[in-house]
Amino acid sequence: MTRYVLGRIGQAALVLWAAYTATFAILYLLPSDPVALQLGANNIEVDSLTPEQREAAAARLGLDRPVWEQYLVMLGNALRGDFGVSFAKQVPVSDLLAQRLPGTVTLSVVAVALALVLGVAIAFTATLVPRGAVASLLRRLPAVGVSVPNFWIALLLIQIFAFILGWLPSMGDQGWQSYVLPAITMAIPTSAVLAQVLIRSFDDTLDEPYIATARAKGLTRYDVQVRHAFRNAALPTLTILGLLVGSTVTGSIVVETVFSRNGIGRLAQESVLQQDIPVVQAIVVLAAAAFVVVNLIVDLLYPLLDPRIAHTPKVSRA
Amino acid sequence: MSAPPRRRKNTPRPVALVALGAASLLALTACASGATTAPVTDAGEPVVGGTLILEQWPDNAAFACVDPFQTYWIEHRQVIRNYADSLTDQDPETGEIVPWLATDWDISADGLTYTFHLRDDVTFSDGTAFTADSVVLALESAQATLQELPGAYGGVYVAGYESSTALDPTTVQVQFSTPNASFLQGTSTTNLAILAASAYEATPEERCLGTANVGSGPFVLDAYTPGEGIDLSKRAGYAWASELNDHQGEAYLDAIRINYVAEDSVRVGNLTSGASDIAWPRNPFTPEQIAQVEASGATVHSRSLPGPAYNLYVNAAEGAVLADENVRVAVSKAIDRATYAATIYGPDYPVVASAFDETTPFFVDHSADLAFDPEGAAALLEESGWVLEDGATYRTKDGETLTIRQPITADNPGDALLQDQLKAVGIDLQLPVFQAAERASIIAGGEYDLLVNYYTRADPGVLQWILDDRYAGSKAFAQSSADSQTVAAIKELFDEGLRQSDPSARADVYADLQELLIGTAVAIPVFERVQLAATGPDVHGFRYTSEAFLSYYDIWKSQE
Repeated sequence: MTRYVLGRIGQAALVLWAAYTATFAILYLLPSDPVALQLGANNIEVDSLTPEQREAAAARLGLDRPVWEQYLVMLGNALRGDFGVSFAKQVPVSDLLAQRLPGTVTLSVVAVALALVLGVAIAFTATLVPRGAVASLLRRLPAVGVSVPNFWIALLLIQIFAFILGWLPSMGDQGWQSYVLPAITMAIPTSAVLAQVLIRSFDDTLDEPYIATARAKGLTRYDVQVRHAFRNAALPTLTILGLLVGSTVTGSIVVETVFSRNGIGRLAQESVLQQDIPVVQAIVVLAAAAFVVVNLIVDLLYPLLDPRIAHTPKVSRA
Repeated sequence: MSAPPRRRKNTPRPVALVALGAASLLALTACASGATTAPVTDAGEPVVGGTLILEQWPDNAAFACVDPFQTYWIEHRQVIRNYADSLTDQDPETGEIVPWLATDWDISADGLTYTFHLRDDVTFSDGTAFTADSVVLALESAQATLQELPGAYGGVYVAGYESSTALDPTTVQVQFSTPNASFLQGTSTTNLAILAASAYEATPEERCLGTANVGSGPFVLDAYTPGEGIDLSKRAGYAWASELNDHQGEAYLDAIRINYVAEDSVRVGNLTSGASDIAWPRNPFTPEQIAQVEASGATVHSRSLPGPAYNLYVNAAEGAVLADENVRVAVSKAIDRATYAATIYGPDYPVVASAFDETTPFFVDHSADLAFDPEGAAALLEESGWVLEDGATYRTKDGETLTIRQPITADNPGDALLQDQLKAVGIDLQLPVFQAAERASIIAGGEYDLLVNYYTRADPGVLQWILDDRYAGSKAFAQSSADSQTVAAIKELFDEGLRQSDPSARADVYADLQELLIGTAVAIPVFERVQLAATGPDVHGFRYTSEAFLSYYDIWKSQE
């Protein structure tokens, strides 16, 4: 078990390094020059500078050194948690993250929890109710949830709950009320994917012979689903959940823009548009880290849910 | 429930009237402006107190900066206008420069020496006194900022600056090495607003984030959170408003909360549902949004932003398709500006009439030259050898299609309409989408035929920032903006405009400039840039400044 965990942590580190390096490579291959970007933020184009002014600007940014040297220096700093200074915003990236991260993390956690509750409830009810109009409606609901665009749901929720009913704020980050609408918006597509997968697994699991046995013992449909089917059906859903948590960063881009929230999603979008390399790199590493950690947790949860999956070496040659 | 929709149009008249220098004309302007910025009288006596919630287009994500000298972002400059005062103020109706922190001034005959006589009762919000030394320090700090950040925006406002001296506590002399007739107007802008000495001890970066920006304005900048908003509170004891305001003394409001809302529909919805008091968009409201605002009992205000109109500038470098003046003029003739304004922004939207918006001093109406003339366009294109083969959509010459590239940052209805209008005369307008960060490389590589640029300032010299390579943000863009002869002629007119201090002589120069820009289609106007705003039913005392920013000073809210 220990060896397995150590191996997984090693893998995680490798993934993070690869993400960092790939971002660096992609951003440096783009057809723009970081000195021009930095000045462009001021709406000054590099060609309006004398060569000396240009060199001074490059030196100040550490952009006068060879690319591989810049890479090693940046990587070394990143390992110590120092992602440098934002080109556009002129403040340390770590300060930016500290300011923007808490709101996004809270929102993501609430949204994932909500998605989990919604997704399980829909799947559970859809498979529990007898075949018929209600069941087929519930079974089709996830397809709708996946298909409708995020920004449209967001605007619709704002229109109803903020503008017409006036129950909840349409924007900002003040109190728990301001989390409700964005969290619902983010939870809808996530819960739809979860429900889709879970319905499918329920259908498969409910065909298993042990379910027939359980039914034969005289258990109700509800008891069968809760006690016997759910744990087995949950495994594929757990895998998907691990993937979906990683995608909350992308989900937060739209949601934070529509709900005027000052979070990581918007920071990511702004920084990509401005090719603000240090910020983009920090966010990519952060998202990769979240992704890796969640998937590690999911992996470690498997044996708890299904004892047949064990991470001990399966060598028994004796 | 539905209050009668009110719509106060603050339609500006040609401020160029000032150029004619006749007092009678000024009186005429005043008559014509009767209904525009008059205080709302049906709302009763102004109420003191309350917090105003103002929702605007977000701050500049690429350059979060509330330092007067460095920033160009309209939404930032508006906030600066309310926490920092300037030496002079500019009348939004006439363009006339009036006293503010300076009571009067003299300009030497050669236009090189400006002497300002200052008020002696002004203090900054940290309690320090405003004196001639404050002005010297502000101007010298501006030079220091320019050293560190060459091309900072305020640079063009102090072009030709040599030195400044405090002659006595209330007299300051500013010396120029070359004439800069725009400087007087410059002293009325936010870019040359004066901060307290403590602000200039901070670095330019710190001033951008507003941590030490102590001003003498009617409000105090309490906190600026980039991406989120700004808090301002009333300055106690304020007593030096310029005559252009409707009242004197302290501001009415206790506090102002500015929220940045990126989504237009949310900003409008918050206003109409009563969650905010003022909606301040960057792009004009759509006709649907105006209807929504008016149906809720809120009021729509409008004022053209002075400075260049929404113009397309050309790449006339050798070998480029728009190096041919005939093709440029044909593009201009092929644009149906009236249809554009009515379709994109609604039937009441003004139609652009020159290379400058109509609130710019020395504006000259060129509507006749900018009329929709597809036949004229076709004739010019034929003359240059671009012919339309039978059954073809686009014109060709020697087997080459007449293609014009206008890089844009996002697909939008306006550019799609333009594409359609040019297609009607056989021009293939392509609209490649680029990211803001790529602009410099697109310009450097000449990968454009048309490109948009603008900057708001109530002085025609502002165009130097775009078309004059000595001051331009992009030298390459300015140098390719016309053939070398025309570029030289434009620069000569800019210089002449700065040399002439007599308004009527300046008017002549800038009339020539507009004629040249329109006649050679170096600038191709598309639409008038209009700053719209919507105020909730409780908001009174709304006033645009000369540069179409919002003055919070006269605003008051009726109590529930």
